[in-house]
This record gives sequence, structure tokens and C-alpha cells, in this order.
Amino acid sequence: MSEALAAPRAAVVYNDDVVKKFVIASMFWAVVAFLVGVFIAAELSWPALNFWPPYVNFGRIRPVHTSAAIFAFGGSALLGTSFHVVQRTCRARLFGGEALANFIFWGYQFFIVMAALSYVLGFSKSREYSEPEWHIIVWLVIVWVAYLVAFTGTLIKREEPHIYVANWFYLSFIITVAMLVIVNNLAIPVSVFAAKSYSAFSGAQDALVQWWYGHNAVGFFLTAGFLGMMYYFIPKAANRPIYSYRLSIVHFWSLIFIYIWAGPHHLHWTSLPDWTQTVGMAFSIMLWMPSWGGMINGLMTLSGAWDKLRTDPGLRFSVTAVGFYGMATFEGPVMSVRTVNALSHYTDWGIGHVHSGSLGWVAFITFGAIYYLVPNLWQRTGLYSNRLAAWHYWIATLGIVLYITAMWVAGIMEGLMWRAYDAQGFLQYSFIDSINAVHPLFIVRWLGGVFFLLGALIMVYNLVMTVRSPRTAPGLAGRFGAPLAAAAGE
Amino acid sequence: MEEARSDVVIGVMMTIFGLIGLWLASGALDVEMSIFGLSLAGFACVFVLGLVRRHFDRAEALRVAVEASHE
Repeated sequence: MSEALAAPRAAVVYNDDVVKKFVIASMFWAVVAFLVGVFIAAELSWPALNFWPPYVNFGRIRPVHTSAAIFAFGGSALLGTSFHVVQRTCRARLFGGEALANFIFWGYQFFIVMAALSYVLGFSKSREYSEPEWHIIVWLVIVWVAYLVAFTGTLIKREEPHIYVANWFYLSFIITVAMLVIVNNLAIPVSVFAAKSYSAFSGAQDALVQWWYGHNAVGFFLTAGFLGMMYYFIPKAANRPIYSYRLSIVHFWSLIFIYIWAGPHHLHWTSLPDWTQTVGMAFSIMLWMPSWGGMINGLMTLSGAWDKLRTDPGLRFSVTAVGFYGMATFEGPVMSVRTVNALSHYTDWGIGHVHSGSLGWVAFITFGAIYYLVPNLWQRTGLYSNRLAAWHYWIATLGIVLYITAMWVAGIMEGLMWRAYDAQGFLQYSFIDSINAVHPLFIVRWLGGVFFLLGALIMVYNLVMTVRSPRTAPGLAGRFGAPLAAAAGE
Repeated sequence: MEEARSDVVIGVMMTIFGLIGLWLASGALDVEMSIFGLSLAGFACVFVLGLVRRHFDRAEALRVAVEASHE
């Protein structure tokens, strides 16, 4: 071993302020997203709630819910954890100084607030998960480029020779989301002074670009980014190396190659050419392999450390999240099969599928990371209350189960009712018959959302007390920032 | 050094964004663009003031540290 390798290395002062800010923002937006979700679920259950001022009707508030959940809660968690992970796995302070980090944080929050405000005022491009008008998207792109500069700059100046796999997932998330957002939002503004634009694409091509974006927002924002989180925080919390580092590399390259082709499965039985639909379906089925490979890798990392699930509530969230990841990535390819899609599309089955992924996978893996991060970032001895964290876990799990089972039953019922014919060949049910049939299930869905919100409020209380209570007085210096072994033997 | 360079680059950027915000608000054809432009200008002002405050906070901390080392 050379002398240079044997010499002690100087301690790196990490930029934890920006990570703390993103963690706080993530918790704040989680409560907002879940609260608005509960409200719009109530609007679907009791439509009279829509007759309030137009700012809060379902059409305007629904994108507030989706954007708050995906971009505000999930996005803040991703940006914050990526900055935490890249600094520690590269042994380098965040590139660009405090000003760039603050610009990324406040600029991103400004994007979220402006987008939400525009929705309630009635301004929207009506493209799912990409509703903000052109001027807000331009701002997002500026912030995103700054994020890319800070992240890649830190990678470039790293002191570790190896780029840990979590960073590969985060980097693919950053680059691909930039590409998706730019292409899907190519549009001509009516005027530079007007918040109205028209897409550069038209007809079936416009639909294909939108769902190329939409599905890859799921693939690269809600999957790749959170897999980066999984590959860092599960090994750290379990104090075990990844089960197979080689498998994580195979997982990465196969996932990013295959995911990008799967979008057309959102347009089965439309005017999109049949061969394009088949490509989307075939690649969706192929996604089973990398998805389950990643799930197995995450779960098997617990080998020899399963007992920690009894004592570490954060790890319990993370491992359950990986289970939901496996379940949602099994269900997705099933739903992408054209014959299955004929039943499931346009029904609440899709809503159930999305929420098994977003609540079970995205939210749970984030909760796991945050339960790990908060005591460490604020240098506390541990969580204020493991019992409260356990209550959060069980209430949230019950909420998810209520939600997704109600939506599965509702969706299959809707699909079957819409395709039922009578002896004369007429449709057996009108649309309103199917609405009446699923009404009780809508109320169960609302109840599931209430449970999930309740769990989040418990978590926020627990984390605030973790930071403020004398019970968790500082004393864990040294645990934080310990290098993470990439694999056994390294 | 990196901090100072970063302050200047981001400060200049935010000043330009603030001016763009005022320009957008001045010619806005709808309420959304008016709100966005004014908010962008306000955001830029607050952000640049924050940069100035942190610059002087750092200078003050450095001065205190130097004085302490001389005592």
C-alpha cells in the first residue's frame, strides 16, 4: 500500500445546512400533499364540496395534490438526500458553495409555490404531472441545471476513487428528468407576457411525448431517485454492505435502459400505432427483471440483521417500502398487458396502483431515510419516541391497505360494468351506475388517506420533539459520516 | 474563495432574474404573469439581501477569530 493511501485524510466539513432545509421542507410538503389528497378524496366522495369557490374545486386542487406529493415532498426529499449521500460517499463538500446550495433550495421552493398558486388560479397546461405553464417550467429548468452543476461538481472533486452506486441512480434521475421536462414542455407561448402556451407537438405525437414524459417521471423521478436513497440508507441503517454490489450495477443499467421505452403502455387502444403500443408493453414486461433484482438486493441486504427491524423503526419503513416496490413493479407490467389494460385503463385500479407505489414505496422509503437523518443531522442520541414511530408505521400501513384494496375493487368493478352488455347488445350500465356502485369504496379510500395523514402528523411531532427535547440531548458525534462500505470485503 | 466566487455568480444571476421579474410584471397580460413577475422580483431581492448578510456574517466571524488568536 502506498504512503499516500496510508496517510490520514483531513476531515471534510460537509454542507449539512442545505440537507436540513430540504428535510424540513419535505416534511412540511408531505403534510400539505396528504391534507390536500384527503380533501380531494372527500370531494369525490361528497361532490357538494366542489361547490365552494372555484379555487378549491377538484380540477384545480388535484394537480396541487400530485405536484405537492411528487415534486414538493418527494422532490425535496430527493434533493436533500442526494446532497447528503454525494458528499459522504465522495468525501467532498458540496460543490458551488453555500450560495449555490441556497439558490437550489429556495429556487426549488419558489417553483413549487408558484406552480401551486397557478393551479388554484386556473392556469394549467393540462398535461398530467407537467401542469405548470411555460414560464414556471423555464424557472424549474434553471434551478435543475444549478442542481446538476452542484451534484456533478461534487462528483468531480471527490476524494474517493469509486462512485458509489447510489450516486449513479441520483445522477440518472437528475439528467433524465431534465431531458424529459425540456422535451415534454416544448411549447410556443402566446406572448412572453402571457401565462398561456401551445404544445410544439400535436395529435397522437403529443400524447406519446406526454406519456413518454409521464411514465419516465415515474421511472426516473419516483423510482431511480428513490433507489439511490435505498442503496445508501438501508445499508447505513442496517450497518451491512449491499447484498450484491454487482447486482446493483446490473440493476442500474438494465433499469435505465428499459424504462425509457415503456411509456406507450399508457396509450393502449388509442390512435397510437399498434406496434408502438406493443413496444411499450414488451418493455414494461421486461422491467420485471431489473425491478425485482433491485428489490431482492435491497431485502437481502438485511441478511444477518433482520433483528434490527424490531428496534429501528426507520429501517422498518425502508424494508416495507422495498416490499411495496416489488409489489407495485409486479402490478405495473401486468396492467401494461393490452388485454389486462382493456379492463384496467381509465378505472380506479390505476389510482390504486399509483398509490401503492407512491405511498408504499416513495413515502415509506423517504420516511425511513428521514427517521435516520433527523437524529444524525441534528446530532441527537436517537428519536424522541420509537413508540410514536411504530404508531406511525402501523397507522400508515393500515391507511395504504385501505386505500389500495378499495381502489382495486372499485377499478375492477368499474371495468367490468363498463364492458357489460345486455342480451340486445346495449350497454348494461350507464356511467352513473358505476359511480354509485363504487361510492362506498371512495369513502374507504378517503378513510385510508386520513389514516396516512394522521401517521404523517405523528411523525412530524416526533421529529420536532427529537430536535427540541432534552431527552435526546446531543452525544452521538462520530456516528455520523462514517464511510459506507460498498460491498463486503471492500 | 469558492464561497466568495459563488456569492458573486449567484448574486449577479439573481439580480438579472429580479429584473426579468419586474419586466414580466410590467407587461403582464394576465394575473398569473403579474403575480409570477412580482414574486420573482421579490424573491430575488430577499435572496440577494441574504447573500449580503451572510457575507458580512462571515467577515465578522473571521475578524473575531483573528482577534481571539492574537489575545
